[in-house]
Amino acid sequence: MHIAEGYLPPAHAAAWGVAAAPFVVHGVRALTREVRSNPESTLLLGASGAFTFVLSALKLPSVTGSCSHPTGTGLGAILFRPPIMAVLGTITLLFQALLLAHGGLTTLGANAFSMAIVGPWAGYGTYRLLRRFGAPLMVAVFFGAFVADLSTYCVTSVQLALAFPDPGSGVPGALAKFGGIFAVTQIPLAVSEGLLTVLVMRLLTQSSKGELTRLGVLDRPRAERPEEVAAR
Amino acid sequence: MLPIDAAAHSSRWRRRHPVEKAALGFGLTLCAVSLPPWPGAVLVAAATLAVLLGPAGVPGRQLWRAFRIPLGFCVTGAVPLLFEVGGARGPVALAPGGPAHAGELLLRTASASLGVLLFAFTTPVSDVLPRLVRAGVPAPVVDVALVMYRIIFLLLDSLAKIRQAQAARLGHTSRAATWRSLAGLGATTFVRAFDRAQRLQSGLAGRGYDGTLRVLVPSCAVSRRFLTATGVLLAGLVALTLVLERFLP
Repeated sequence: MHIAEGYLPPAHAAAWGVAAAPFVVHGVRALTREVRSNPESTLLLGASGAFTFVLSALKLPSVTGSCSHPTGTGLGAILFRPPIMAVLGTITLLFQALLLAHGGLTTLGANAFSMAIVGPWAGYGTYRLLRRFGAPLMVAVFFGAFVADLSTYCVTSVQLALAFPDPGSGVPGALAKFGGIFAVTQIPLAVSEGLLTVLVMRLLTQSSKGELTRLGVLDRPRAERPEEVAAR
Repeated sequence: MLPIDAAAHSSRWRRRHPVEKAALGFGLTLCAVSLPPWPGAVLVAAATLAVLLGPAGVPGRQLWRAFRIPLGFCVTGAVPLLFEVGGARGPVALAPGGPAHAGELLLRTASASLGVLLFAFTTPVSDVLPRLVRAGVPAPVVDVALVMYRIIFLLLDSLAKIRQAQAARLGHTSRAATWRSLAGLGATTFVRAFDRAQRLQSGLAGRGYDGTLRVLVPSCAVSRRFLTATGVLLAGLVALTLVLERFLP
């Protein structure tokens, strides 16, 4: 769920755009470097972006009986790294605004900050941290996707609270209100997205080992030792 | 194809230059966001609806189907403005001026969304992307966006077919089966996206691909008349809002 067109006051919309810009520019530079050195990666990156867009079209059953859709930022960040996700996520948000009327153009900066920047970085950070401490791949993937989803909605709550402070208790009160609606209710959905991401990753490790190795998610198979080769 | 993009491809204004439609659609959106919601957003919404249903020829039913999505979020987002928490009047109480504030927000959001819909319903994304290079967006980013745009529809089509096949094999009869099916759907989409990219790569390599995707952009001139009319409409809306604001409660 993204902040709708015109929802934020102009000053806030501009400020979030400015906050998101350095990350998107950094991602654009990383993507441009990658494409210039490997022209064929244009197609791979395009396919990855399309996958992120399509992932948000999956309907996820929620424990409350309703359904939601995954943000896809956790899986995207684990597969493609956060700088690339900042660009792919921003393009995805742009397409969602123009093709699905979901989100908006004046709120693109705010939505990009939460979904294409904070979500991927928080999720990827959690994933890397857990992997460094020796956590199994699937445990790290679950928490990476969980944190990416939840942090996206927590940032959205903060953005809304700053834009619409509570008349009685100011920003903290507004944060409690918006957090109660958008972040707390998101906890079961974040768990659902974590579980779905684990299931997807489990299937991918069985069917697409090559791609996962190329993307650096799985370690390359250890090269045969020279003495073993010589012994043959 | 997605309904909004399909409508844009067959729009009456399809042959108009995207700059004209961007000036009108985004100009109306900016007016909706920056003018006072009462009466500014109401005037902007009325003008946008008149353009959408009149000269742009967007069918009302299609417009409503697209418009109800942002409207749902606006209503959900406006509800918290009706209440205050932790104030002097108790843990949760009706906020003074809450309904007026929520109403203003609804007006502004609805009006701004209509402006973007005006652009989206008349301009296919494929007409906009190649022109972004001239606007200063790096070519590799535009190329990636172009590939994304073309693969999205293929993947959505695959998604629908896989979902149908899963349903035909009782893949959604229980919660566990639904989860298994969803995971299969996500993983298969990933595999197909990569497969599609590899096949595109092979096809383009055989045609001398050098890292740049060259696409034909239909040539059309920017109409000064259209831009002038847009400017007059936007200026009129701003002036009328400022005048009416003094007389209306």
